[in-house]
Amino acid sequence: MKGNGSQKKSKRYAMLIDLRRCLGCHSCAVACKSENDVPLGVYRTWVKTVEKGSYPNVRRVFIPSLCNNCERPACLSVCPVKATYRRPDGIVMIDEHRCIGCKYCMAACPYDARHVNPVKKIVQKCTFCFHRVDAGLVPSCVNTCPGGARVFGDVNDPESEISRLIATNAIQVLKPEKGTEPRVFYIGLDEMAAKTRVEEA
Amino acid sequence: MTEVTTIYNVAYGEALGIPIAVYFYLTGLSAGSFILSTLAYGFGMIRYKPLGKIGVVVAILLLIVAPLNLMIDLEQPWRFWELFYYINPTSAISYGSFLLTLYPINCMIYGTFMFMGKAKLTKIFGLIGIPLALSVHGYTGFILALAKARILWNTALMPFIFLASAMVSGIAMMILIAIARDKFFSAERKINMDLINGLVVMLIVSIVADLSLIGTDILVLLNSHDEAYEAAQLILTGAFRNIFLGGEILLGALVPLALLSNRITRTPFGISVASVLVMLGIFAMRYTMVIGGQAIPQH
Repeated sequence: MKGNGSQKKSKRYAMLIDLRRCLGCHSCAVACKSENDVPLGVYRTWVKTVEKGSYPNVRRVFIPSLCNNCERPACLSVCPVKATYRRPDGIVMIDEHRCIGCKYCMAACPYDARHVNPVKKIVQKCTFCFHRVDAGLVPSCVNTCPGGARVFGDVNDPESEISRLIATNAIQVLKPEKGTEPRVFYIGLDEMAAKTRVEEA
Repeated sequence: MTEVTTIYNVAYGEALGIPIAVYFYLTGLSAGSFILSTLAYGFGMIRYKPLGKIGVVVAILLLIVAPLNLMIDLEQPWRFWELFYYINPTSAISYGSFLLTLYPINCMIYGTFMFMGKAKLTKIFGLIGIPLALSVHGYTGFILALAKARILWNTALMPFIFLASAMVSGIAMMILIAIARDKFFSAERKINMDLINGLVVMLIVSIVADLSLIGTDILVLLNSHDEAYEAAQLILTGAFRNIFLGGEILLGALVPLALLSNRITRTPFGISVASVLVMLGIFAMRYTMVIGGQAIPQH
């Protein structure tokens, strides 16, 4: 993340979600499902919705959530067969022909970003739509977001829109204390809302 | 305080299920019974000689059944061979796969020499087996400890808690086996109380060690960050209160301690009841750790 214009660095992809622009329309979740053929019941991205306060002082908080494609992923070090790996551009991938489905990565991920694909019987997650990125396009959720809340780009390029926004705004990540160094950044993340969990039935 | 309510979120529940808890339980029993078997054949403690052969047989049988639980839990069971081909040195499951192979092989060699009556070779493989038995169960503690998302698991005490509970359940199982063998299958039908009393002392010491480790763990959880406090509340007052406080601590440790530590109840029957309770209590511990550890959603 150190800006060094004179040195040509490799790409490091990241996403920034400007929560001031999120409408809570769930278009990202739908676009992702359609783009990545995500089966029923599981999600690679979803919009966590939290209500704060009581009438008349009330606010709905939307937190679009996805794999943070961390710099130090908890899932990567625990995978016993190295099915989870990181591309040089930082995207954390799962080799679907190698994954044995032990689910250790799901237990280790502090963001619940991984799920078992009930059809393919392997673990899957958001890959920043690597197939679109490789073709020069932005991820499907970024493409579809009507508020323009999601910004995708190379944080090693100081001229990119994402680098500009990170440099000029107060930035948050989810659970920084886990030491995973997430590469999904937020503007306007409400820690109180982020910490509120769904209690399991 | 301002009210905060989650309206919509996605959570998948626990990733590692009951088969994993059963696997941890069986591996612990195996490691415990192996170590008891080496007391006579590795360290020359003649008093425990009756446990030697049965201990190693039980250790091998359990270690054949235990990994099947791991295979059942895989989404792709037929890809298990990859564990021996693609190796990730930072993954406890990766190096554990090799321990899970070496340990039963060593047990078999040790057992074979024991049944052939070759004392010297038995001793050598018995002593090689001890670090293997400790690591085969210690690594299962590392599986949990190294999953940093789960606060109940992510403690340096975890491998030691697992080793202590392995000894507790292993000793309890061997007490039951020894009593049953003497009572129903021996020629004299007479229980070897010298052996049983020795095991009872070991069991008491192990239970106290186990309780101390768990107590230390909870005390630190209660005085650490918010998530740790929440995890402690989950097992002390929350959904896992009954199985943890009632099952693991009260019925699985305190009641057996009371039964074992006074003359009135330290009869073969009282000791058997205590041992059964201990074995159930350690299963409650495995369940609390594996399932309870994942009961708090990540977001």
